[in-house]
Amino acid sequence: MAEMWINMGPQHPMTHGLWNLRIKVDGETIVDAEPEVGYLHRGIEKLCEDRTYTQIIPIADRLCYGASLAWSHLYCMTVEDLMGIEVPERAEYIRVAALEMQRIASHLMWLAAYAADLGAMIGFIYSMRDREVFIDILQALSGSRITYNFPRIGGVAHDVYPTFERDTLRACGYMEKKLKEYEDLYEGSKVFMMRNEGVGVLKKQDAMNLGVTGPSLRASGVKYDIRKDMPYSVYPEIDFEPATHPDCDCYSRFKVRMDEMYQSCRIIRQAVAKMPKGKWRVLAPRNGPVGTGIGRVEDPRGEGMMYVVGNGTDRPYRLKIRSPIFVSVSAAPKMLIGYKVADVVAIMGGLDMCIGETDR
Amino acid sequence: MAGEEKGVAKRDEGLERAPSLIDENPEERVIRALIDDFPSAIADFKKLKKGVVRAMIERRELYKACKMLRDKLGFEHISMISAVEYDAKFEIVYHITSYQHQLLLELITSTPKDDLSVDSVSSIWGGANWQEREAYDLMGVKFNNHPKLERILLPKDYLYHPLRKDFKG
Repeated sequence: MAEMWINMGPQHPMTHGLWNLRIKVDGETIVDAEPEVGYLHRGIEKLCEDRTYTQIIPIADRLCYGASLAWSHLYCMTVEDLMGIEVPERAEYIRVAALEMQRIASHLMWLAAYAADLGAMIGFIYSMRDREVFIDILQALSGSRITYNFPRIGGVAHDVYPTFERDTLRACGYMEKKLKEYEDLYEGSKVFMMRNEGVGVLKKQDAMNLGVTGPSLRASGVKYDIRKDMPYSVYPEIDFEPATHPDCDCYSRFKVRMDEMYQSCRIIRQAVAKMPKGKWRVLAPRNGPVGTGIGRVEDPRGEGMMYVVGNGTDRPYRLKIRSPIFVSVSAAPKMLIGYKVADVVAIMGGLDMCIGETDR
Repeated sequence: MAGEEKGVAKRDEGLERAPSLIDENPEERVIRALIDDFPSAIADFKKLKKGVVRAMIERRELYKACKMLRDKLGFEHISMISAVEYDAKFEIVYHITSYQHQLLLELITSTPKDDLSVDSVSSIWGGANWQEREAYDLMGVKFNNHPKLERILLPKDYLYHPLRKDFKG
């Protein structure tokens, strides 16, 4: 049969953001694929060279609308590494609790989109409803719902509010109950399982070589979590188990993210319980030194990384941002080739695309 | 393929072997192995913090060193490729991760402005492919033997490399 190229995007219900997936089909079978990104390129790296270190925190928030706290935290961590600042322990615990809430909120948003893509529209409503629980806490903590501007170079903007502990523990208890319900809902759905199991297989070697990171890497059976293997912040003092799954398919990616939400609840409980009294912020110098700094975190979507070069002024000389999805999406052809057009939605949905950070 | 087991490579074979500090320290082992194979090209070793090592390498040996890093030293993943512009040269910074040894190697190579090219490592790590295209797109660094060195974020007919310091909006 004649082969032809099909554009899925930039305006397509599958894409969740502005990007284009060109697939070459032979009948219903995909024989080649080519993702195209760049529609949302805002030149954030160039913009940062013209802003002071403090002014960049809200810009870093804008990198990803789903997990903005993870990015502003990563930026602050990188600049702290450049300036050699010790963050107070209380601030680290507040950050960890907030980051894990952000991770749950981000995964719930992914689940909402994924479920809706695969025909379980009720999943969208449920996930978005429960995401509000965590968004509300983050709003009470920082003052805004999506872009928090909460971490600072040398700590966090302010202390937790009086009922923070009660609210988070209540939210975790609620979430753990709901997660069980979701698992029953999705795994009991024959349609959902048929569209997931055995689809989009990405072998362990390919996943490692192609630079896929985060939940998608752990779903290929590689047990590597930066929180555990190259710990930052206070993660070494917290007991949790990175979720992995050996199947390498879309179901495995779904399962890893579901398990991660349980683990995040576990981390939040410990972080809130262990939170010491004390300062939550130290003052940072206005000017950065001459030198370089790196920060590396386990973003909800994978390995987030920044590299900053300082030249002694109050502005970074160069700030390079590594986006996990930018690299993961380059592995899409490997996952897509050989499957049917109808599987594209499940495969690309399982990557948890976020175009804000991909294009920067 | 390596990377299944965590922790430092097998240390129990041959109990008669004297214990050595290098076996205990994965950072030291990487440094030692690189210096042994590329004595003239590698310089400026520094352990930045636990698990993070920095080294400078000359660009003519970059490809060979990267191949050795993946095949012999267990660096399975390239995290980030950044290009940084200085007055007379460009620095290309490779952050390379080892999943099995829990190491991060910061490998820095520099290239003069009049011959702005380094060897592509995308045949070693597939994850480098798009990152090199991005560095080409925004900074104009040429990567030799890259399978498809085209613009990725900006339109194909764009004329400038906007992250360079002489580019003003």
